[in-house]
Amino acid sequence: MAKKEKNDKKELKAARELFNLYLQKEKEEKSIDLPKGTVKIDDLNRNETLERLYTIVDNTITKIYNTGRPSIQLPARTSSNIIWDEENDLLLLGEQIVEKQFHSLTSVADLTRLMRVLEIVNELLIKDIHATKREIFYTDVKLFTEQKNSDKSIEDVAAMLYTTRNSTHIVASAKGMCVGRLRIRDRNDIIDLEGLGSGGWMVSPMLDNIEIIESDAEFILVVEKDAAMIRLAEDRFWKKYPCIILTAKGAADIATRMFLKRLSKELNLPVFSLVDSDPYGHYIHSVYLRGSKRLSYESPFLATPNIKLLGVLTRDLDKYKIPEEVRLPMKPMDVKRTKELLKEDFVKKNKQWELDLSLALKLKKKAEIQALSQHGFEFLTNTYLPEKLTTGDWI
Amino acid sequence: MDIRIFHKKDGGIIQLIDKEKMQDWPIELPLIFVEYIRSKKLDSYKDPQIKKEIEEYLNDITKDIAIPRMMSVLEGENEEEIILALIRIEELSNKNIEMVIPIKPYLENLINKKNKDIVSIAKNISNNFLKAERRKKLAQKRRVMREKEKEFLAGKINAEEYAKARKDYLTLKE
Repeated sequence: MAKKEKNDKKELKAARELFNLYLQKEKEEKSIDLPKGTVKIDDLNRNETLERLYTIVDNTITKIYNTGRPSIQLPARTSSNIIWDEENDLLLLGEQIVEKQFHSLTSVADLTRLMRVLEIVNELLIKDIHATKREIFYTDVKLFTEQKNSDKSIEDVAAMLYTTRNSTHIVASAKGMCVGRLRIRDRNDIIDLEGLGSGGWMVSPMLDNIEIIESDAEFILVVEKDAAMIRLAEDRFWKKYPCIILTAKGAADIATRMFLKRLSKELNLPVFSLVDSDPYGHYIHSVYLRGSKRLSYESPFLATPNIKLLGVLTRDLDKYKIPEEVRLPMKPMDVKRTKELLKEDFVKKNKQWELDLSLALKLKKKAEIQALSQHGFEFLTNTYLPEKLTTGDWI
Repeated sequence: MDIRIFHKKDGGIIQLIDKEKMQDWPIELPLIFVEYIRSKKLDSYKDPQIKKEIEEYLNDITKDIAIPRMMSVLEGENEEEIILALIRIEELSNKNIEMVIPIKPYLENLINKKNKDIVSIAKNISNNFLKAERRKKLAQKRRVMREKEKEFLAGKINAEEYAKARKDYLTLKE
């Protein structure tokens, strides 16, 4: 019986229709038309970043010669300068500018750190190597004192250069993992993401070294949890249903989001997310969808606005007869977070999403992806996912 | 265009990187890519029409990108670059000789160069080709030998014929 079910391959009708729709459409534009009042951030190569860096340094030197009172201008990264672009469903940086004076006592420590990071970035780019945020902190512990100071300077430098942090060759350690119908190039090596066992490929934080070279996938599945990923990998879900599976093992880190964005943009495939049925899961989906507030200046390179929330939806709990004993009661923090999500513009814009979160609030129940295993370990891969992808039951 | 899309009859697609993007790759990589797709992926595409289209695309990559890039280095004057390229080719030839077949016609010219390092690596690559050829012949003879053994045991051939086949096989093996 189990064997029969295993061989019962579904057509994934709805997912195929979405895939065909994407195929008919032109590939996503290279550049997004940003709304007025927002600043444009570019993903630059090594030489372009160096060029911008030298322009800033040259201008500062000129100011020193001309006025003796140099300053540096950079876009403000405060919440009042973060704008939601409704059309592209992205969080972007506004045009507010902060000026930091070299001669001011309040900004001198900040500026010294910023210039030190600028110097390190110059070295990294010239040598064509990468460093983690932690390594940057350790280059000058006395100056940075705490890592939060060096992290802030790193983000300031990227914003000041109007580029992504990756373009400065400063990377955050990545925790994402990817398997499936995809072949990539990492400098001199060709890596087959189908042939790495169930462990898959660890997403590299040095994504500028990565190039997508071949794929016969028809959709991308983003999974919140490692446990669900193990189930999918062990069942070799991508063999039966041509797809690429990606997880950030919880909250989405920059490299995983950036890699997903590249997959979605270059391969032009539908993207679905599978998260826990709780406000945290929905929040993770929203970060993939439209970016985080802290890194709003990088949103166009990190967000995947066409990602669909496949599950686990609150409405799925009854539909798939998830037993009461595995439905967990919402804690006060869950209720608070759900209410906060319901206030977000991007949720209000999506009626189905609003309905599902309202239903969760009404039932005061949440459930993990693993709750599906109440119907058997293979229920996720043999029934739940194929059925949802066939019927188009997503948000 | 960053990606080439090939449409399968069943509605699926194969996406392959555009050949122009390979202009910035390390010189040996386009060849590795071609051989990789040819040996590891082509059969998995199943659809004969798409296999044909992709085979043509791979030939274009070899003709337009892989060989000219390789040759621009090997036929150039910069001996350091030539040595670096040859080292990579030698590594490849050790792993999978099939991948570097397009380089074969140029080896003789390299063996006649004055630079000792170039000559030495080119000879190593050439030897790898000879070894591979020998292995191929040996495998063929082994197949024949097995057949002869079966025939001999079944009484279909006499001892003299069997001994002759065995001698041919052992001579090549040595």
